[in-house]
Amino acid sequence: MTGKLGPLLPQDQREAQEKRLRDVWETPSGWRYWTSVNNSEIGLWYGCTAFIFMLFAGVLALLIRLQLAVPDNTFLSANFFNQAFTLHGTVMMFLFAVPIFEAVAIFLLPSMLGARELPFPRLSAFGFWSFAIGGVFVCGSIFFGAAPNSGWFMYPPLATDKEQTGIGADIWLLGLSFIEVASIAAAVELIVGIMKCRAPGMRVNMMPLFAWYLLIVAGMILFAFPPLIAGDLLFEMQRMFDWPFFDAERGGDPLLWQHLFWIFGHPEVYIIFLPAIALMAMIVPTFSQRPIVGYSWIVLAAVGTGFLSFGLWVHHMFTTGLPQISLAFFSAASEAVVIPTGVQIFVFIATMLAGRVIFSVPMLFGAGALAIFIIGGLTGVMVALVPFDWQAHDTYFVVAHLHYVLIGGMLFPVTAGIYYFYPFFNGKKLSDAWGKIAFWLMFVGFNVAFFPMHFAGLRGMPRRVFTYPAEMGWDWFNLISTVGAFVFAAGFLIVVADVVRPKTRQAPAKPNPWNAGTMEWLNQHEESWGIRSIPIIKSRYPLWDQPDLRKNIEDGRYYLPDAETGHRETLVTSVLDGAPQQVLRVGGSSYVTMIAAFLLGGVFIALTYEWWWTTIICAIGTLIAILYWLWTGTAQIPEAEMRDAGLGERFPLYVSGPASVGWWAMFITMVGDGTAFASLIFGYFFYWTIHDDFTGGQVGPGWQWPLAAAALFVIAWGCMLLARFANTRNLASTMRLSIAVSLLLTIAGIAAGLMGPYQHAMEPTLHVYPATVWILAIWTSTHGAVALIMQLYCLARSYAGYLTADYDQDLCNVVLYWHFMVFTAVVTYLTIGLFPELR
Amino acid sequence: MNVERLAGAANRSRKVIYHFCPFSLAICLLVLSSCSGVQSALDPAGREADAVATLFWVMVAGGGLIWLCVMGAFLFAGRFKTQPLTERRAGGIIVFGGVAFPVVVLAGLIAYAGWLMPAMRPWFAGEGEGLRRIEITAEQYWWRVRYLDDKGQVLRESANEVFMPVDERVLFVLKAKDVIHSFWIPSLGGKMDAIPGRVNNLQLEATKTGSYRGVCAEFCGTAHALMAFTVEVLEKQAFEDWLRPKASSTPVSAAQTPDAGGLDAFLKNGCGACHAIDGTQAQGAIGPNLTGFGTRPTVAAGTLPNTTGHLIRFIKTPDLIKPGVNMPSYNMLLQAEVEAISLYLKGLK
Amino acid sequence: MKSFIPREVETLWTLFTAPAVWALHFLVCYVAAAIYCAKPGFLGLGFLDLRWLLGGLTFIALAFIVLAGYLAWRQWGFGSGDPPHDEPTRDDRKLFQGFATLLLCGLSFVAVIYTAIPLIFLAECQS
Repeated sequence: MTGKLGPLLPQDQREAQEKRLRDVWETPSGWRYWTSVNNSEIGLWYGCTAFIFMLFAGVLALLIRLQLAVPDNTFLSANFFNQAFTLHGTVMMFLFAVPIFEAVAIFLLPSMLGARELPFPRLSAFGFWSFAIGGVFVCGSIFFGAAPNSGWFMYPPLATDKEQTGIGADIWLLGLSFIEVASIAAAVELIVGIMKCRAPGMRVNMMPLFAWYLLIVAGMILFAFPPLIAGDLLFEMQRMFDWPFFDAERGGDPLLWQHLFWIFGHPEVYIIFLPAIALMAMIVPTFSQRPIVGYSWIVLAAVGTGFLSFGLWVHHMFTTGLPQISLAFFSAASEAVVIPTGVQIFVFIATMLAGRVIFSVPMLFGAGALAIFIIGGLTGVMVALVPFDWQAHDTYFVVAHLHYVLIGGMLFPVTAGIYYFYPFFNGKKLSDAWGKIAFWLMFVGFNVAFFPMHFAGLRGMPRRVFTYPAEMGWDWFNLISTVGAFVFAAGFLIVVADVVRPKTRQAPAKPNPWNAGTMEWLNQHEESWGIRSIPIIKSRYPLWDQPDLRKNIEDGRYYLPDAETGHRETLVTSVLDGAPQQVLRVGGSSYVTMIAAFLLGGVFIALTYEWWWTTIICAIGTLIAILYWLWTGTAQIPEAEMRDAGLGERFPLYVSGPASVGWWAMFITMVGDGTAFASLIFGYFFYWTIHDDFTGGQVGPGWQWPLAAAALFVIAWGCMLLARFANTRNLASTMRLSIAVSLLLTIAGIAAGLMGPYQHAMEPTLHVYPATVWILAIWTSTHGAVALIMQLYCLARSYAGYLTADYDQDLCNVVLYWHFMVFTAVVTYLTIGLFPELR
Repeated sequence: MNVERLAGAANRSRKVIYHFCPFSLAICLLVLSSCSGVQSALDPAGREADAVATLFWVMVAGGGLIWLCVMGAFLFAGRFKTQPLTERRAGGIIVFGGVAFPVVVLAGLIAYAGWLMPAMRPWFAGEGEGLRRIEITAEQYWWRVRYLDDKGQVLRESANEVFMPVDERVLFVLKAKDVIHSFWIPSLGGKMDAIPGRVNNLQLEATKTGSYRGVCAEFCGTAHALMAFTVEVLEKQAFEDWLRPKASSTPVSAAQTPDAGGLDAFLKNGCGACHAIDGTQAQGAIGPNLTGFGTRPTVAAGTLPNTTGHLIRFIKTPDLIKPGVNMPSYNMLLQAEVEAISLYLKGLK
Repeated sequence: MKSFIPREVETLWTLFTAPAVWALHFLVCYVAAAIYCAKPGFLGLGFLDLRWLLGGLTFIALAFIVLAGYLAWRQWGFGSGDPPHDEPTRDDRKLFQGFATLLLCGLSFVAVIYTAIPLIFLAECQS
């Protein structure tokens, strides 16, 4: 297999190319280092930050274990204990388990896919800064005794009670909402990156399995996180303004929160688990020295798990008194998800059976992961059975189960990944000897700590108790657990020590130290350009099957070997067959991402303390920062239409509509936004089901104003379609006029939408019905306001000459937003206007 | 009925457990010691708990076998095989181990659970069915227990102790006053949440007389750990006698108690604003009803054994014993008054 | 059928057909049961009617999945070639898509049946 290959240039020309590439992709030095947006830097910061949060939450876990070591202990106060376990769960889930996969993905994916960069490096940077700020804010609260203390699940009415939860609940809600922004940003980045930025020739049947998994996980984030954001919104409205969404006395229902939380919460378990198993899917073939057996089966498993995991959420609610038939549906889906999970394990075993296995430290951790995870999976089968869960729910049995799943399904594979990918990151291996000691300490410590919990739980020990009486016979279990927890922690500390110890005297490893077959091992860790030239891929394991690949890449004999235009550029290819389509210019180092993240952080933090003016100022600042970022960094008109990409091929520098990455980013974001909206609509109908009269005798918004609003938004949308049409015909003034008309109609639509509840004097604190109507109207109006800003932006771009018939990315993306906008508006106003009349 | 007796119940064990232990002897011993107890789901004394415990041990045996097989296959593949398999044969392992086997086993489990659920908690058409009803209201951090008659009238009210007859299905009507709690008697069966604004039903049938312990299983605030209750399963006649005491012994009047001065102190210091004692002027409905308090095994919802010493401590500094409790501290009372109140309460039969 | 559904479906979306059918079936089952139990007698139905309706829906869902499975099987060339389908050709890419889709149809088929099992045993709305 040779295929197309560029000429081998003389040494001096190659060196000149390399210098230009190096200059363009250079990581800034000094304190400007932090303005870097390179995926290798962002991935590293992301990963390190997540691990620091993990160690912090680990310390909390040890404090918890110390308190429970003996009965009737007074080491921690009840209040501190409750803060500690709440924060332990919150930090491990939101600040470690999910972000660590985003970190690994941002770090590794471009190399695996043979891309220079992911399509939106600045978005990654923005996501990282949001995550770091939100994380520090949430974690820091415990040092002021102000941490959330009502469990990571935050069930109302306990968590809505301001006297019992203090500011901690607000810190949880707003801090994590902010972090969810980062997750959704990562999802956008990963989906577009995997779909559009693979190396030429990397068809969907040849993608590294890691990419398949991450694609599914990113898709899951889009449907899993928004319901929680919607829930957070309702929750904060209750805490700040006393809108009674979860207050039973005024028609609300605490169970709505449980639904929204677990619609997020259960898929999240798989969002955590799949990327970790994806690491195993890279490690196992390498150490079996053969391609994976059952590539398609892994795709089945990833996609199947992705879907099925959305049918499990009620299994966290088996004891809430829902009808047995509902419970049984979810029980069935919970058992069904075992099948794809089992398939993955057997794919690994089959691959090992068909290969010649080298048992190294990463494989050791992999084996430990399997041994632990299978126990977690089997107890999962048990708790998914409703009758058994009636006993086991909310006991230490579940504590044991979830730690077996998450530590076996996530921490051990990630540790395997650390050992495996460490040479990728700095060219040196971690210590084998220490790795084995760490493994055995962690493995034994883990089982000693968590296995007894199964029995403590079935013997009647509930979760989240800060103390227990001596005569219950739980004391030995707990003491053993505590000892095990410290052994486990010691093992992990060895891993940390091995990672951070200076390795200046250690000899560098070979470039591909494990003799792996996938693209990331072409990485030159000392260079920041990602890949010297972008190759044509002809195998799932190109390093095994394409001879001289490394040499030809490093000689610059493939695509984009040069940076003569002075821009950061990478190749965009087609979704199915990886045919090159475009040369994409990506953003470089910039302050704007960091400033935008800090300002947005300011919005959320100021909201927590209800400093309204600061909130408003920060919000305006965020808006300005983002507009500046968009104006200067996106949809730039290139100096030439086409770019010579090497190998005698030329590709456009500017594309718009569905061919562009920006359009897909908008599409994906709006899918997430639509999911949050669907959650609010779900809430509206949820209240209808639980009450005989869901209006509670309150007046509605009438049908006149809502229908008027819906009509206005539909016409405004029509004007936007007209504007896009006029623009393609090069009728600039018609286009501008249409946008202006649409803008006025939008203003009218927003006003009409709010007039319904306003004119009927609907009082949202009286009953949940007016509150739900208001929240829907406000949601849609806010989206209308965003649409207004976009319309103004398009007008400004048009007058500035950045939006023309040929260069129309901005307009295409705004029209795409409008498709979702009009859907949101029509659904909202038909629901609040007509449903009360129809029922 | 006291804590010693409750602890004594912990010494019963179940030999059947021996046969299912899948792991090493050490774990066997651990398991064995773990099963018995007044609050153990593995030492069942009720129909539902019995069915679930059996289900559990069957699943443990099956799961242990599966674990051994999969890990065995993994180790064989990784360390002990001599020759690599062909890709086709290896693929067959995916189809058998990853698909065929789990599909069949899981279908069986789903069907079994689907059959078991309505068998354990049958359809309950409404009040006309004549089930004995006990209304439980969970509050931060204690249990209000009301025994209802056929018409829903309260026959008897108590707190933090549940009496029930053996071999009879009892319907617990679960309500919550403030936040979500969960009512759980592991020895008898599964738990059910008590949720503000909702009324949940839970049917339990005890099969053995004896003393058991129940707890709140859903995190409900600062003192969630200290919200337990005792369960006394009595023979049917003994239960009826307890429920409807003979006319001569009721109402419990102040005169019958050993220390009338305690009642005075109780009333004078406003205890009656929150607590009720039948036959006295104390008719508060905010805190636990203290009628017959002297016979209860524990103070502060299962937190401490019911002794006058503990009572004194609890009245003076409730927040130290039970952080976050709603009862205010009465540290400002004279020691003599607190002692009198405690003696009086301890004497209530 | 061949005239209606072209052999050449050049998109990744077909992969998700069968799981989407499962999701829809699951959602309808859950929502129907939830509304029925929260508002007894809604639309004048009894529980038995509901079970029959959902049973019928299950058959429709299974039929859809079988159809999707047939199309996938066809895309896979009726099993003419064995996996791994890892050649760098358009044909192998299509075979891979067909095979992966077929596997997902199988999983969704089982999952739909699992969802329907409770309808056999549960005859009332008890909690």
